[in-house]
Amino acid sequence: MAAPMELSCWGGDWGLPSLHPESLTVMAYAKFSGAPLTVNTINNSWRPPKGDVPVLISEDIVISQPAKILNFLRKQKYNADYELSAKQGADTLAYIALLEEKMLPALLHTFWVEAENYCSVTKPWFASRIAFPLSLYLPGKMSREALNRILLTRGGPPHYSVTEVEAQIYRDAKECLNLLSKRLGTSQFFFGDTPTTLDAFVFGFLAPIYKVCFPRVQLQEHLKQLPNLCRFCDDILTCYFRLTVSGHSPSGQDTADANLQKLTQLVNKESNLIEKMDDNLRKSPQHPPRKLTTLKLAAGGEAGSPLNRLSP
Amino acid sequence: IHLLSTAAEPWPENAALYQQLKEEQILLSDNASSLAVQAFLQMCNLPIRVVCRANAEYMSPSGKLPFIHVGNQVVSELGPIVQFVKAKGHSLSDGLDEVQKAEMKAYMELVNNMLLTAELYLQWCDDVTVEEITHPRYGSPYPWPLNRILSYQKQWEVRRKMKAIGWAGKTLEQVLEDVDQCCQALSQRLGTQPYFFNKQPTELDALVFGHLFTILTTQLTTDELSEKVKNYSNLTAFCRRIEQQYFEGHDKDSSAAGAARSAKRSLLR
Repeated sequence: MAAPMELSCWGGDWGLPSLHPESLTVMAYAKFSGAPLTVNTINNSWRPPKGDVPVLISEDIVISQPAKILNFLRKQKYNADYELSAKQGADTLAYIALLEEKMLPALLHTFWVEAENYCSVTKPWFASRIAFPLSLYLPGKMSREALNRILLTRGGPPHYSVTEVEAQIYRDAKECLNLLSKRLGTSQFFFGDTPTTLDAFVFGFLAPIYKVCFPRVQLQEHLKQLPNLCRFCDDILTCYFRLTVSGHSPSGQDTADANLQKLTQLVNKESNLIEKMDDNLRKSPQHPPRKLTTLKLAAGGEAGSPLNRLSP
Repeated sequence: IHLLSTAAEPWPENAALYQQLKEEQILLSDNASSLAVQAFLQMCNLPIRVVCRANAEYMSPSGKLPFIHVGNQVVSELGPIVQFVKAKGHSLSDGLDEVQKAEMKAYMELVNNMLLTAELYLQWCDDVTVEEITHPRYGSPYPWPLNRILSYQKQWEVRRKMKAIGWAGKTLEQVLEDVDQCCQALSQRLGTQPYFFNKQPTELDALVFGHLFTILTTQLTTDELSEKVKNYSNLTAFCRRIEQQYFEGHDKDSSAAGAARSAKRSLLR
């Protein structure tokens, strides 16, 4: 068995397991490939989050960037891409580059640079999860870094003012969303019926825009006009992260589901315990696996089993 | 770009492409970008002559090279040039469907994201290359101390950008790994087809040709970069094919053919 792996990353809200695109990408990939990750969200502990979150710790190895973390997981035989052809693997790389070049600047801008969004949503959220006095300093630093990155990569002539740069990056992001929507078409995931690395990256970049409630939401509005992308995000959230679309406890459903929702919210704090229970429960599947039969057994077992064993 | 006015005028005979001095000054990344634009224009059958100026970088409207001077319009960089040419009614990618166009754009971003950034890294962040090749070449048209000042300034700018996108912490081996990954992806996508979208070349082919041909034919302090590309025989065959088809079939006087030939060594084994 592989050594236990711990992922340290930012937590979530608004129905997402994490607000941070890179953290979300890694978490999604772990779910798709069935890698048993213990997720530790950064909270008010004294251990300050390093600049390059998410961080994967396995025994003595510390790995920090999403691409490297995914490589490590693949080497540990948790590979979501094993069914892809060589050309599809190449396409994955290309589309990830597209996301980084066209989508990321606007994403960073929406979260960290747009003044209203930053002051009313991003900064309080992140500050509440960092220990004082770092909470006074770190969000500001992240914001400055985001602006720096945007200006260095996209600024410069012929855009002579920040507003022109902003207009350009939002245009590029909207075009990128359109391209992704065309590429996805009507299929469930980008390469057929099973999710892969590319799905993890697209989900990681799109879900924060889709779900987080900002005052200035031009990108979210554009995304909502592309129903197949919205459906894509919602599918992953409901199937792999066991959260309802709204992220709130459903009122009209039966109590077993309500218990499941409460338990899901406990996962962040007691994920070790849940993983152990899932291991035991996997051996006694209670319900036929859901439509995601092509997944590893872990996901199919989890879907049905906690209902029975864990209801109080 | 004022699309309405440009559409009205046909492509003039004296269209010019500006880049830095070929023999002494131009660097790997700029040569690649310039060759990509030249290849694109050749594929569209639009005549262009290459003009070399030491201060081309400062003449460019965006500070990046190459730029073209057509009629009374000045447009720089491949992306805007493709749009400009499209407004004049020439396009290589009209025959593609929506999904293919998305793929093409994605692969172009891959080349920019990985290959171009790797070239910039090699030129400006690898100390050996910087000392032996970049600094002497970049400021060569200018007297001392201006040449050193200009190249240090540019180096500082590029290093800032590398730091912002997270490449500053990479070692040369990691950068070469990335180049290899990118070439592998391009090679797998190309497969056995003559061009990326089968029979007809597109701007993606021009871009890939520009970068790969330059990497293959430029002498650096080590051969590691070109070795990475040479590992993929269909990519070298692709470059040879485009070189033959678009750069050797023209007059000896044509500057475009001259650009391909004046690269340090040709692809002939």
